[in-house]
Amino acid sequence: MKWSSCKVSLWLAGRSLRQNPLSTLVAVFTISLSGGLFLGAWKTKQSVNLAFAHSAGGFDAVLGARGSKLQLVLNALFHMESSPGNLPWEQYVSIREHPGVSEAYPFALGDNYMGRRLVGTVPEMFLRHQWKPGRKYQVSSPGRIFSESAKEALVGSQAAADLRLKPGDHFHPYHGLEYSPERKHSDLYLVVGVLEATGTPADQVIWIPIRGVQTMEGHDPSASDSISGVLLNLKGSSGLALDVKYNRQGDRATLAWPVPAILSSFFNRFSWLERAIASLALLMGIAGGLIILATLRSTMHERRREFAVLRCMGANRWLVTGSILWQAVLLSGLGSLGSLLVHLVLSEAVSLLMESQIGVGMDLPLLDGTVFSTGAGILFLGLTSAWLPARSLYRSNLQESLNPHG
Amino acid sequence: MHLLSVQNLLMSFESPRGQTQPVLRVPAFCLAHGEQVALRGPSGSGKTTFLHLLAGVLSPLSGEILIDGNRLDLLKEGQRDRLRAGLIGYVFQSFNLLTGFTCLENLILAMSLTGSPKIDRARSMLDAVGLADRANFFPGQLSIGQQQRVAVARALVNQPKLVLADEPTGNLDPGNTDRVLSLLCALCREWGSSLLVVSHDQRVINGFDRKIEWRELNEVSFDEKGVE
Repeated sequence: MKWSSCKVSLWLAGRSLRQNPLSTLVAVFTISLSGGLFLGAWKTKQSVNLAFAHSAGGFDAVLGARGSKLQLVLNALFHMESSPGNLPWEQYVSIREHPGVSEAYPFALGDNYMGRRLVGTVPEMFLRHQWKPGRKYQVSSPGRIFSESAKEALVGSQAAADLRLKPGDHFHPYHGLEYSPERKHSDLYLVVGVLEATGTPADQVIWIPIRGVQTMEGHDPSASDSISGVLLNLKGSSGLALDVKYNRQGDRATLAWPVPAILSSFFNRFSWLERAIASLALLMGIAGGLIILATLRSTMHERRREFAVLRCMGANRWLVTGSILWQAVLLSGLGSLGSLLVHLVLSEAVSLLMESQIGVGMDLPLLDGTVFSTGAGILFLGLTSAWLPARSLYRSNLQESLNPHG
Repeated sequence: MHLLSVQNLLMSFESPRGQTQPVLRVPAFCLAHGEQVALRGPSGSGKTTFLHLLAGVLSPLSGEILIDGNRLDLLKEGQRDRLRAGLIGYVFQSFNLLTGFTCLENLILAMSLTGSPKIDRARSMLDAVGLADRANFFPGQLSIGQQQRVAVARALVNQPKLVLADEPTGNLDPGNTDRVLSLLCALCREWGSSLLVVSHDQRVINGFDRKIEWRELNEVSFDEKGVE
């Protein structure tokens, strides 16, 4: 067994950390929290961007009332915000017949059940549309898609789980997008199926025939031919021509296209968040470095005599310096692992929250470049913080260290 | 041929007021192979500094220290570390065992500084000082006398050619003083190690054939040095 200075210094470092469990725990905990929060915030932002971009439900564009494109996209695809207004049914018929349009599905909003939005649409959407390339909607067995003319509902998986709805159940819709007990409609709907989970906002809502929303008891009869918008898939480069037609030349409707660019402009609004996270990372990095420095300095102060004894026994520079550096590596290494753990917990919590609130799930690899870079950064900071104290320890006055009191 | 010889050794420290304060001036000192010598002097008279110079822990201001053919005063710090690990065993007054390590580990650690520790050897050293059954005890679990016996075992475990003992019995009661001292001398004799013990205790000094008064060796007087 050949014992190198490296091995002995690692042994000394490990034992030192074990001898000071409280300060070790505090240092590792603080580094874990700093690194984990940074990693969590950074990756959550990445995940959210990606999740939104991938959760558009397989649609290229949305046609809606004149107004904000972003509001239209959030309302139509993510079931957030309110509708900017209504479109006449003719607009739907017109765009459906456009040669540049491959798919067009009208939708109408305006009601809810226990806070879950009711989205009126046509059954074809569930038969033809691919929400992800190669993936069509599936109805869990037993169950089926609603009939166009009946008061039937197809419930998104998350909505069904939350509201405990199953085929055969009945419910009364409530007027408006927010649940208000006194605004109950007298219409009675039958649940005929539950959609299999897609990880998109489609899971969050209750789908009913569009005629149901249009003719719901209590709704304005003059709006019975209105729709909230049209979900579209376009052929080739027809988006440009439609953009010109609706957005530049027309003044009655807005075409939100292309969806990814609109979402990207949405996230650009949060570029300040990126800067804030970067600043936070810097501050946390400094804090982590200072914590390692403080822990090592306190350890060194407590063990000054011990190191002096080791030097009297013949410990060389590498052993003394290495012992402190190893401590830094162990602390920051444990801190890195802790960061990963904190990040995992944080990401899982955010993912669950997002999925339950807006139906958008996060799906980023657990270990990626950001995780490794953060781990390497923590190790680098640890070593940098330890370098000066480690050097000074070897140079400290042995005579004084051996006789600290006189 | 001497194991250790010192010529015109001079050492001084800087006082807090920036003045150079001489600590020791030793014109000549030598120690033969296997010889056991006691150096007596009052506390704070520079004996520990002398041992630190001989161990290469401190560098002299001037003078020559020759150990086993190596000019210690000319060696760089790293070379002195190596020489110390291989040639010298050090026994402290306050034992200075590493508290986070068991008795056995304290010995293994000392051995690992020279290269390759052998656990059997460490165990037999503990056996030699009568502490085989305490191998896995931590220093805090031992009596004062037992701790110093472990310290002796640790100093000798590498079979050093030179053992320097700084007031090795300073913290011990008379019973333990006799036990530790005879153990130290016996083991050094067994290994053929030279032993230099410094002490202010006449009882310790009496046990040695060769005794040296520090004031005869060191030309710096207390008056010249002031209070250390």
